[in-house]
Amino acid sequence: MLRSNSEDLIRKVIARFVDQEVIPVAEEHDRKGEFPVELFQKLGSMGVFGIRYPKSIGGSGGNTTLYCIIAEELARGLLSLAGTTAMQCLMGTDGLYRFGTKDMHETFLKPALRGKKIGAFQLTEPEAGSDLGNVRTTAVQDGDSFVINGMKTWSTSGPIADFHTVLCQTNPDKGLKGLMFFFVPSDIPGFSHSKRFETLGTRTTLLSEIYFNNCRVPSEYRLGQEGKGLKVLLSILAEIRAMTGALALGLLRAAMDASLRYAKERIQFGKPIGKNQLVQSKIAKMAVDLEASRLMVYNTARMIDSNESCLHQATMTKYFATEAACRATDEATRIFGGYGYSMEYPVQRYYRDSRFLLYGGGVHEVLQTNIAKHYGL
Amino acid sequence: MKIIVLIKQVPDTTEIKLDPKTGNLLREGVPSIINPDDRHALEAALRLKEAHGGRVAVLSMGPQQAIDAVSEALGMGADEGVLLSDSAFAGSDTWATSFTLSRAIRKMDGFDLILCGRQAIDGDTAQVGPQLAEILDLPQVTAVCGISSFEPGASGRSQVLRRVRGGYQRLNCTLPALFTVVSEINTPRCPHMERLLRACKTKTAIKHWNCADLGLKTQEVGLAESLTQVITTFPPKTRRKSEILEGDPRSVAGQLVDRLQDNKLI
Amino acid sequence: MPSVWIDYDRCDGCGLCAKKCPYDAVEMRDGIPHILEQCTCCALCLEACKRGALQTDLTARTVPDFSAWKGVWVFAEHQQNALQAISLELLGKARELAEQRSETVSALLLGDQGDPLVQPLFTAGAHRVYQVQDPRLRHYTTDAYTKSLARLVEKYKPEILLIGATDIGRDLAPRLARRVGAGLTADCTELSIDPEEGILLQTRPAFGGNVMATIVNRFSRPQMATVRPGVMEKRAPEPLQGELVAEQLEGGDQDSRVEILESWTEEGERIDLSKARVIVAAGRGAASSEGLELLEQLARSLGGELAGTRAMIEEQWLPDDRQIGQTGQTVRPELYIGCGVSGAVQHRAGMAASRYIIAVNKDPRAPLLSVADWSIVGDLFQVVPELISILSRRI
Repeated sequence: MLRSNSEDLIRKVIARFVDQEVIPVAEEHDRKGEFPVELFQKLGSMGVFGIRYPKSIGGSGGNTTLYCIIAEELARGLLSLAGTTAMQCLMGTDGLYRFGTKDMHETFLKPALRGKKIGAFQLTEPEAGSDLGNVRTTAVQDGDSFVINGMKTWSTSGPIADFHTVLCQTNPDKGLKGLMFFFVPSDIPGFSHSKRFETLGTRTTLLSEIYFNNCRVPSEYRLGQEGKGLKVLLSILAEIRAMTGALALGLLRAAMDASLRYAKERIQFGKPIGKNQLVQSKIAKMAVDLEASRLMVYNTARMIDSNESCLHQATMTKYFATEAACRATDEATRIFGGYGYSMEYPVQRYYRDSRFLLYGGGVHEVLQTNIAKHYGL
Repeated sequence: MKIIVLIKQVPDTTEIKLDPKTGNLLREGVPSIINPDDRHALEAALRLKEAHGGRVAVLSMGPQQAIDAVSEALGMGADEGVLLSDSAFAGSDTWATSFTLSRAIRKMDGFDLILCGRQAIDGDTAQVGPQLAEILDLPQVTAVCGISSFEPGASGRSQVLRRVRGGYQRLNCTLPALFTVVSEINTPRCPHMERLLRACKTKTAIKHWNCADLGLKTQEVGLAESLTQVITTFPPKTRRKSEILEGDPRSVAGQLVDRLQDNKLI
Repeated sequence: MPSVWIDYDRCDGCGLCAKKCPYDAVEMRDGIPHILEQCTCCALCLEACKRGALQTDLTARTVPDFSAWKGVWVFAEHQQNALQAISLELLGKARELAEQRSETVSALLLGDQGDPLVQPLFTAGAHRVYQVQDPRLRHYTTDAYTKSLARLVEKYKPEILLIGATDIGRDLAPRLARRVGAGLTADCTELSIDPEEGILLQTRPAFGGNVMATIVNRFSRPQMATVRPGVMEKRAPEPLQGELVAEQLEGGDQDSRVEILESWTEEGERIDLSKARVIVAAGRGAASSEGLELLEQLARSLGGELAGTRAMIEEQWLPDDRQIGQTGQTVRPELYIGCGVSGAVQHRAGMAASRYIIAVNKDPRAPLLSVADWSIVGDLFQVVPELISILSRRI
């Protein structure tokens, strides 16, 4: 029977969306540092945000592989759009999907999957980055509700999100075992945020600090059981890292495509610069990095889709693909020579944006330690 | 109410590059897309469906890979799809293509309207729509850029706006009819992920018909049924100087102005 | 299904079959031809092979006897009591074709405008005018015109019928061709008579991109072709006289399935690019307000007009009367400068006849470079300002 291959078809559709609608406006959005509302809503109308959720709650019935394909293609056009999309598909909505009530699904999740509401994920605090045991945002039970106090930082879409999945400490004595996620809508009293941060790259992503001042939420806004916050996080960590690897893969492709085109077009000393072996060496390394990253990303995605435990593979994937993307974007600016330093060509944006990937999904210094631990060190 | 939309999968001709040395076409990496005008036709059909209810079916003829065009159309919102694919269809000119399509449409139980793009970007003939209308004895309106009223039914009518050089015409047309549309008519929507996945998974969404399914013999289709034949192809004559000017922007601009002056163009 | 195969004992690997195949269905691998699945059995490779290595079980189609079909016809399109230029261009070409066939040229004049258009048709080269006068033909409608012309074709049996590829022609020609059972080739850029077979050779740009295809219509009459305005050249007018044949629109009232409610022209002057001496064309590479401003300035400094590719019109950077190409206008200016124009075949079809062509493009593989007299491989945002400043000093 004749049927389209879903992975090829979705890649093709998203690739076309990126080529026609994202790339032509990417520079302008980056320059203005504005959140691309229109593109975000369009992705919502295409059912992209529901790609990894079942149809029963308004999802599109896809899986992690398709999610990674979308992240990769979008990252090829504009990394910050891809990052915000990835957040909306997974971290921003997963807790709500798994632990939210039917009412919460109707009021928040379904609109979010259509792009009508934005979800954010609040993990990091000034004193708790990789060290989550040090989370100081507290949630204290008071009768039938919880009262949340504290602050979060580096919050993607923080200033514009409609609701937040917030990691809180319910029992400071228990450290990691006292952690728990809470659902917090932005319109409740006591919620506020700082002005957006100025960042080197991914400039259309709005990051800020978030403040909770006696925010009272009903007990059904608990996402998961008491003390199981870390477990909830771990259950999506492999997927977060595979997805971050896919973002890196897309950025790497953008850098390589631009380099390749330029190496063929740019004539110096009467021949295209791509005829020089030193340029060829850079391109060859990118090509190998690209192939290796691709294999790692989609192997990890496939393991997630078949419910195999693969945090170790996912960690290596995120680490390798990101390092590869950083190398490639760096080399791309060199292949472009002076134009790599010019704001008129997109390679400078790839270079700036690549740095974002080093922190999102785990800093590499910690990831390397995690990888080494796997081998008994 | 039922609308049949004809779509064609075409190579994205805007992405075509030439080998600078040989002048040959570089075919690799040229994506296949739904013909742009056809995408507008599908959007027009979906909007009519939203306003009047009913079903939208897409019909395409092409190699098996054209299944992706049909799947994508389902992703945009079409309810059913038919792909006509058979090696016997190869080499069809517009005469044979319109005939084959007409047989498929007769098999597709009824319609109020057939919509298609004005022309395909690969062949650019703009012939299949009117030829199909002739075979099916339907009134046709070509280059439609707006559908202002649509009343399907026994004595159905539709009022449309037609683009003509230098202006517009407003026309009244009885239904069923065939319209070919131009891009001005609307902005097509993007496909929806859930619908795309459904098109890939559901067994019944897309029918695949070959020559025999249409009750045709191989000598009644394809090149054998075509009235026109390509007898030769050749690269366009270029008797041009084909000189590439080199240097920095100022120097090449200077060289160019020199040449314009030498040839008394300025 | 019939097929074509290769007798490898006879094949010397010369590759002529692969070169000849219009469907790219013969692939040379290690010097040996292979026939791929997209083969349509058109059998052109059989003619190309000098060693008879290509074989087929295809039975040759017999060509019916068309000796009763004679003369070259042109559909005369007119608007507001004036003949459209395309009709005169087609008559010029028709005259040339008829001479080679030792036949006459006839023009088909439909409408209710009376006789003032008849003489101009003779002057432009028609030996005969078939005129159908009827108020129902005042405005073009698909049904009435198709019916009327089909009757003429069936009654007088022309060998060749040429129609302009205008809004009307593109609506009419395919419908008429289907009704009278004739093959039709759209948008021909060259028409000639094959000296041996005596049939019409219809050449048009075809996909395959960079290629021109010559198409024939062996198995039906009339041999129908459409030609875009501006492609053929008019003949010098001659004070000729000819024969006027009046015909009736038969049948009762046409049950009009399509009714024109109103027609109007767009506000504002529409630009006629065919009259421009210099054209600066903008492609995707110039798709920004800064880019267009630069090109507008360049056009002004050369006394020319700004035009664009299909993409530039679709994305509404330029109004649609400035579109060059197969779906826009065909132009032949003294000087054409394409900036950021890749030069897809559809665009080239509309400008290839320009006297001088200049391409400015970042991509050395852009097809426009292959048809340009002078090319600059570079960024138009750097090159065009230099051009403007040099021109301002030298003109």
